[in-house]
Amino acid sequence: MAKTPPQHEITQLLAQWREGNQSALDELYPLVYDELHRLARRYMSRERKGHTLQTTALINEAYVRLVDQKNVAWANRSHFFAISAQIMRRILIDHARRHQYAKRGGGAQQVSLEEAAIVVPDQSGELLRLDEALKSLAEMDPRRSQVVELRYFGGLNNEEIAGVLHISENTVTRDWNMARAWLYQQLTGSGAN
Amino acid sequence: MTPERWQQISRIFKSAILLDNEARAAYVESQCGRDDSLRVEVEKLIDSHGKADADEFMNGVAAEAAAPLLTNDEVRRQEILNKGQRFGSYIILDSLGSGGMGEVYLARDTRLDRTVALKVLSPDITEDKRRMQRFRQEAKVASSLNQSNILTVFEFGEVDGLTFLATEYIDGETLRDHLHGKRLRLGEMLDISMQVLAALDAAHEARIVHRDIKPENVMLRRHDQVVKVLDFGLAKVTENRYPTLEHDSDPEAITEFRTAPGVIMGTINYMSPEQAQAKEIDERTDIWSTGVIMYEMVTGKQPFRGSTTSHTIVQILEKDPVPLTKLVEAPAELERIVMKAIAKKPGERYQTAKDMLTDLRRLKKRLEMDAELDQTASLVVPAKKDLRRQKKQVAVVVAIEIAVALAAIFGVTLWKSSHKTTSPLVTTPEAPAERTLTYWITVQKFKNNNPYQDPFTLAGEINFEANYHIRVNVRSPQSGYLYILNEGPASGSPEYNVVFPTSTANNGASLVPAGETVLIPKTSWLRFDKQQGVEKLWLVFSEDVLTELEPIKKFAGIETGGLITDPALNKSIKDLLDRNSATKPAVEKGDSLTTLKAGGKLLIYPIKLEHH
Repeated sequence: MAKTPPQHEITQLLAQWREGNQSALDELYPLVYDELHRLARRYMSRERKGHTLQTTALINEAYVRLVDQKNVAWANRSHFFAISAQIMRRILIDHARRHQYAKRGGGAQQVSLEEAAIVVPDQSGELLRLDEALKSLAEMDPRRSQVVELRYFGGLNNEEIAGVLHISENTVTRDWNMARAWLYQQLTGSGAN
Repeated sequence: MTPERWQQISRIFKSAILLDNEARAAYVESQCGRDDSLRVEVEKLIDSHGKADADEFMNGVAAEAAAPLLTNDEVRRQEILNKGQRFGSYIILDSLGSGGMGEVYLARDTRLDRTVALKVLSPDITEDKRRMQRFRQEAKVASSLNQSNILTVFEFGEVDGLTFLATEYIDGETLRDHLHGKRLRLGEMLDISMQVLAALDAAHEARIVHRDIKPENVMLRRHDQVVKVLDFGLAKVTENRYPTLEHDSDPEAITEFRTAPGVIMGTINYMSPEQAQAKEIDERTDIWSTGVIMYEMVTGKQPFRGSTTSHTIVQILEKDPVPLTKLVEAPAELERIVMKAIAKKPGERYQTAKDMLTDLRRLKKRLEMDAELDQTASLVVPAKKDLRRQKKQVAVVVAIEIAVALAAIFGVTLWKSSHKTTSPLVTTPEAPAERTLTYWITVQKFKNNNPYQDPFTLAGEINFEANYHIRVNVRSPQSGYLYILNEGPASGSPEYNVVFPTSTANNGASLVPAGETVLIPKTSWLRFDKQQGVEKLWLVFSEDVLTELEPIKKFAGIETGGLITDPALNKSIKDLLDRNSATKPAVEKGDSLTTLKAGGKLLIYPIKLEHH
């Protein structure tokens, strides 16, 4: 298993990304991912059954472990959470895709034997459509789509989102309202286009 | 919708939702003026806003569901693409592992409906010009070659900023994995060598030198042991057939060997002396490398291997390897061929792959004849060995060699116990045609869509519960062509679904090797639907390929559930399966499995899965 990367490295990468260096994000992503993965696994192996793993708690712990606390800046923390939100989104979408893939698609209704997915609760289709809609939203309005990502996939509250995006909390609320209404419309098929 | 339009809507929307109903209508009216479509859009959005609130739409945090998934090993970030994901016209079926250049996936080409290996370059490599060049080179060179022992390249391209190479998919292992430090049987070793040389012959004809022939780049297909030469990434197109004076124009490959000894230790052992000295390289370099591989296959040892890169290079340049026959019992002719291939001076080696191939073919033929002679003789004259040896002028043929050849040809374990194998071999009399197939069923109980309890196996069918997910395991002591179709309980003309072969189950091939267990499905379970009744799972197992069933392959696939939509094909399947009523196989229910036996070359049997 890979070693936890040095704190200063992550802290530096976060600073670079904040300054607009996109390739820093490419480097950060796997580092953060691995740490989340490692923590989650360790956590689950210790906890009693039935105890749920809190995503936000997990991200917090990863943050404390990965980021050099002496040189911490609020913006670093926000950016760390923003990456985590991306990671969580991707995990969920990948999972939903796998699930959808395991299911049989069109034309197979008459068929009685079907390959069953191992893990189900079937919102995967909806989640995938949400993801697609969110991508379309990002094309028209990147900021609103980010608000959704941070809140829905990252579990950030409005104050934290405001910090990440350098906007006021009021704007976060307004962005959320608009984005959510539009996504609802897309998903329920009462599309505006 | 244009971003401008979107901004316009959003501006009206954000103020409107703060107002009560009456004021809102007036506000929207005033803002939209005569732009009716704008008004409609704004109103729709306001309406959606209210409904989203009422539905508590996205009130939760999806992230909370993500954390438990993180504990799942299946989720690995190293994979650029995921199972089921669409990638251009491909659908990713599985991850096959990672190589130096990126990830390799099993994928389905939806345009041509074929299974391919998809090599996707990691994004960081795309940045690296030299490696990109190599990748492009590989695509270009390999796609220009069309020979059955060279991996076929289908496509080189880019999707979503990811560069990929689609090639023929080989279900098998590399010669490196196959060798695993052991020696190979003589017959197998000759087969592999000859196929490598056939590939090289084709490449050399096209004036392409591979330059990196090594066991890692030789792939053996599992079901028929066909050899495929891979990785033309370092290949070079020669201007002249035999360049003599000009210096190698591409010292980069050599620099790579030189500068990163630790990384490429595996490769350096197969380098020719001229390669090691960064001299000019031609086809005879590939001959050398093939000779080195052959030496390794025969003896289990590499002829040139030092403790460091420089030691190895010194050995390559100066050391004469230990003769094969000093290490193992091998035909002297084989030793001559290998030693000629690894002559230090290119001029003393085989000059073409074709010449070397010819010698190997001749050797193989002779060994086969010897084996036959030996066999015939053993039935007639007890003292056959002496007689035969006198007949042979060539002194190299000794009894042991024959034993080795026999063992190789008949698949007996050899080398170590070569003396034992001199006992006469008798041909197995032609057995009357019969097909045998066994099956058993694995059950996994599910509760709330999650598996619980350990899976258990059944010898055959029972009346299944709705929450039982099952897997059918099929095996035969004979190799043969297997087709499995599902027929539902529907009344009227039956419809069939392809259950086997599928791209994931057997690489799309119907031919199943003897003794191999086929899991259906391979990685998940069959689940019953709500409609009660009897599901038939038709097993069709044939000695010969069934041309009437081969077309079912193109309907296989999870996307469509394998449903066969061609009425003509459905009809011919039904006709074939109906023949079963005439020739029902004998069914023996054992403790742990069910055995089916049918006379003739064809076995057809429906497993009946009843569920409630």
